[in-house]
Amino acid sequence: MSFLSRNALLRRSALVAALALSTSLTAPGPARAADSETLVVGLVAEPVTFDPTQIGDLNTGRVSRRIYQGLTGFEYGTYKIKPQLAESWEISEDGLVYTFKLRPDVKFHDGTPFDAASVKYSYDRQTDPEHPAHGALNYRYAKNYLGNIEAIEVIDDLTVRFKLKTPQAPFLQYLTVGSMGIISPAALQKWGDDIAQHPVGTGPYMLTEWEPGVKTVLTAFGDYYEGVPAIKNLIYVPIVEPQARLSAISTGEIGLTYDVPVESLDALREDPNVEVATGLSAHVWYVALDTTRSDPPFDNKLVRQAMNYAVDKEAIVKDIVKGTGEVSISPLSPIYGDAYNPDVQKYPYDPEKAKALLAEAGVPDGFSCTFMVPESGSGMQSPVEMGTFIQANLAAVGINCAIQTMEWGAYLTEYRNKPEMAQMSWNSVMGDPDYVLYRLFHSSAFPPGWNAGSYKNEQVDALLSKAQVITDQAERDKLYREAQALIVEDAPWIFVDHGQQIVAYTPALKDFKISPNFDFAFEYTHLE
Amino acid sequence: MRKYILRRLAQTIPVLFGVSILVFAMLHLAPGDPVEVLLGPEANAESIEHLRKEMGLDQPLVVQYATWAGRMVEGDFGRSTVLNREVFPEIMKRFKATLILTAGALTFAVIVGVGIGILAAAMRNSIFDSVAMLFALAGLSMPLFFTGIASILIFARELRWLPSSGMYSPVGGGFLDLMAHLVLPAITLGAVSAAIIARMTRSSMLEVLGQDYIRTARAKGARERRVIWLHALRNAAITILTVLGMQFGYLLGGSVITEAVFSWPGLGQMMVRAIQSRDYPMVQGGVLFVSAIFVFVNLAVDMLYAWVDPRIRYS
Repeated sequence: MSFLSRNALLRRSALVAALALSTSLTAPGPARAADSETLVVGLVAEPVTFDPTQIGDLNTGRVSRRIYQGLTGFEYGTYKIKPQLAESWEISEDGLVYTFKLRPDVKFHDGTPFDAASVKYSYDRQTDPEHPAHGALNYRYAKNYLGNIEAIEVIDDLTVRFKLKTPQAPFLQYLTVGSMGIISPAALQKWGDDIAQHPVGTGPYMLTEWEPGVKTVLTAFGDYYEGVPAIKNLIYVPIVEPQARLSAISTGEIGLTYDVPVESLDALREDPNVEVATGLSAHVWYVALDTTRSDPPFDNKLVRQAMNYAVDKEAIVKDIVKGTGEVSISPLSPIYGDAYNPDVQKYPYDPEKAKALLAEAGVPDGFSCTFMVPESGSGMQSPVEMGTFIQANLAAVGINCAIQTMEWGAYLTEYRNKPEMAQMSWNSVMGDPDYVLYRLFHSSAFPPGWNAGSYKNEQVDALLSKAQVITDQAERDKLYREAQALIVEDAPWIFVDHGQQIVAYTPALKDFKISPNFDFAFEYTHLE
Repeated sequence: MRKYILRRLAQTIPVLFGVSILVFAMLHLAPGDPVEVLLGPEANAESIEHLRKEMGLDQPLVVQYATWAGRMVEGDFGRSTVLNREVFPEIMKRFKATLILTAGALTFAVIVGVGIGILAAAMRNSIFDSVAMLFALAGLSMPLFFTGIASILIFARELRWLPSSGMYSPVGGGFLDLMAHLVLPAITLGAVSAAIIARMTRSSMLEVLGQDYIRTARAKGARERRVIWLHALRNAAITILTVLGMQFGYLLGGSVITEAVFSWPGLGQMMVRAIQSRDYPMVQGGVLFVSAIFVFVNLAVDMLYAWVDPRIRYS
């Protein structure tokens, strides 16, 4: 090759580069996102699949819940069950048979009618390996939510009957869960496992564009039975970096985002372009103690109570999470209403009392232990700061914990391997206390189950088991209140806080409410 | 020449083989279990066991490696355990975005780096030289996430000149939109390379400028501009080219952080998510793919030497 051509090439590439640079400098600034029919939502991570049975993360669930619905749903902004695709239902005396009357006016996004057969089709797909739409997937939720169903019968087009193996009080709550969303059988037959890319449900919005990593566009469904939503387009964009998310909400590039860093909350509240909503959820943040261990002496109730007195939870809520939480006195947050028991034993910050209890327990000089802390993690708030603070509080009464930090993926594995002392948080996508208390405190949930401290109290076991099978809600609430009182007195955890959801959005968005199940139900909102 | 290329291509096989063993071992020996991450808090021990078996994770590591490597040889990258989609098309989709970012960063690094390097060499020991080299040193020492976040806060949040993140606006799109989104991440990513290239260009130019033929060129009356841009730069180009090739690999790797800061929908961001969720097929496929690109870029740079400097011949 001659020198001239090299030279020409160099010159040409310089020209292209200069052109690229100049066009980029003259390009318009950030586009303003919203007209009155379009809302841009900044997600923390992008959605990964739109097969509701395969969704394992909140971000995807938040989008997918616009597309799919279950037989029951929640009243906007609450954990109260309301009819969704079912119009009404009857429960047999023995709590074993649920008969649902379905709404007659419901269509799937592909135009096919929603009926009893589609309910059976969606659920049998998950549980029956021979089902034509079962495919090569693993249905991770089938056992938990559908495992107790003996049979699903189609009585007529608009009546479906579930026969249960044993009475299961939270069953109506189960039907609200994302994986119980009803999928169009016609679409399942057409797409098979690829339904994940071509979702067809009955919800207020349908998927119209999905560019992974870039954006997910939902458009209002014209035949939606509760009326076409006021916001016609929802555009979800992933913004991983918190500062970029903050920048995007204050410049108006996006209309709503969440999980904003707590240290920026004050500045955000003063920003006239941003509205901040906080709301309590079913979240609980705690430190689990292995109640079977004698060294460190976590098998001693007095020691565990002492640790609860030693930790200044008020300070954690005020200074570390900047008021985006509420001190936890029990595993259930007040959002559980009548099932929540405010009259349990309290553990206010009282280092002297903690020392006295340690002396009474026979360890006046304290002891040492290992405290597992994740570097980050879903629902973990500020794990390292909180862990360090707790470590200092405990050291002040003579308990010396060595902190061991781990990356979240590794942490989850270790957490289920009988840790001595470890942080965890629990979020509930449904409003039944069973989902919290039974899974975290019943002795059938020992590791690798989620009762990480192997806590066992026969009375608690009996109360939780009983509350699982009776259907009288008032009676169940009473059992759960009793169980909480026992659990809190036994102190298998250091109870720390219930975190709040923090959502920042444009003041143009009206009627927005935080939902306890972490959903953003934009079909009930509008833009001004 | 052809023989040389063939030999070099053959040499990539053991390299990629080694990389495949490394990435496989690191992933599988690191704590954390894909099944538990996949199934989440709802999982019970039984379904964990079941899925582990289904995914073949109950097999000895050697068997797992052999199965995976065997499929890779046939060009089958497997299916992502999280996305439930074929790995290879996903990699290609994301690689396009990474390539755009890397190209943008490299363009910036070359223009700024070579430019400053030449000027600094031509004006050796001047104030410009000292200031430029000071900035180059600062650029080298600045971590990507810092410059990235700082540039978001300054240019997107305060001045509002440029968008905060992403590759396209939620509404709209097009070439200009892409360019506006590219500026901050490309400069963030390219800054370190620009600094390295500037320092290398300067020293390599200084060396050449001290040679006899430069003196001869000046003596025969060539203008200084011609001496520098033609006689000196061409001979300094070999060193610059080597650095460029290495920088390209560095930029591919460095794009992981930049992509995370700017939510750029590239390979790096996808890999971070894949690692967090222990998506073995995706991580293994992705790392192997990037390694292969790196190896081939180095090969291409070696080929370019012969073109830039006719004295170099491969046999």
